[in-house]
Amino acid sequence: MKARDNPFCVERVDAIRYRPLATTFDTILARLAVLGYQAAIVGPEGSGKTTLLEDIQRVLDCQGVRTRLVFANDTTPLDGRRRKRTLSELEGDEVVLLDGADTLRRSTWMRFQRRILKRAVGLVITTHQPGWLPTLIDCATTPALLEEIVSDLLSPNCVSSDILNRLYQDHQGNIRHCLRDLYDLFARETMGLLV
Amino acid sequence: MDKLSIHLSNDETICTPGQSLQGSVQWRLETAPEHLKLSLFWYTSGKGTRDVDVVEIVTFDRPGTLGSKDFSFDLPLGPYSFSGRLISLIWALELTCSPDSETVRREIIVSPTGREIILDSASAGCSPWQGGGAIGGPLESILGRR
Repeated sequence: MKARDNPFCVERVDAIRYRPLATTFDTILARLAVLGYQAAIVGPEGSGKTTLLEDIQRVLDCQGVRTRLVFANDTTPLDGRRRKRTLSELEGDEVVLLDGADTLRRSTWMRFQRRILKRAVGLVITTHQPGWLPTLIDCATTPALLEEIVSDLLSPNCVSSDILNRLYQDHQGNIRHCLRDLYDLFARETMGLLV
Repeated sequence: MDKLSIHLSNDETICTPGQSLQGSVQWRLETAPEHLKLSLFWYTSGKGTRDVDVVEIVTFDRPGTLGSKDFSFDLPLGPYSFSGRLISLIWALELTCSPDSETVRREIIVSPTGREIILDSASAGCSPWQGGGAIGGPLESILGRR
């Protein structure tokens, strides 16, 4: 199968929006306001933290709130130069959305956080563990969520629940990794083995 | 007619690297946009990081609610349109309307063979990267992430 025809190609996967479990997006936004736009989206890898952060940015942008999304990860670390540039570019009325805050050392984070909040009106971060900022939401996944997402990407869904459950268990609930495995299965056109 | 449309001369969607690509754009809109933007670009689709390169943009300012404009782009020498299991490189023209963000896209193939190059069976010496490029969805969403 050509990459462009793969139902699990990255742009289709990236188009999936955050799906709250046992809450609503409006409730999350209301809590964010209560927390003064200083909050952490917490959760393990592949649980939708970055997706939710992007969704929050989209809503804030629509509300006319200026936002600045900053990504930090192992391949693009938020090193001293990037931190300095981020701080110098802040214009005072922005909400900073920092994905991967826990890639910073705690001491660096404390200083960076203070400096951001001197210049910005809000700071929303993603982390794997709580304790960096008040928790906005603890992101989690379920096998049913994986099945729902796969059903949206595949019409009709030709992957059995048993297979999806196995993938979910193998990847310890990391939905992103499950979808990458499904990409590979479709790329090799071996889905017939799974049905 | 659709609200926005892109027409290629002779309905030519298969192009040779370096050739001139000509056509016209047409629009029929309820409210007059500030401008229309026609972009020539390529993007990658597949498993890995997405990439995009906007080769050329033509802007039509204050185009009114109804009209037509001709365009002409000189295609670069590469990269070629190709597909493998892990990545596809797709060339396209995209016409966007601001501020309504109405969009229409037309894919083209840029290849010296007259077909999208399939990596599994690509012949030796026919590199899809001839003329430059880099590995890496729709244009706006990718640009929005940069």
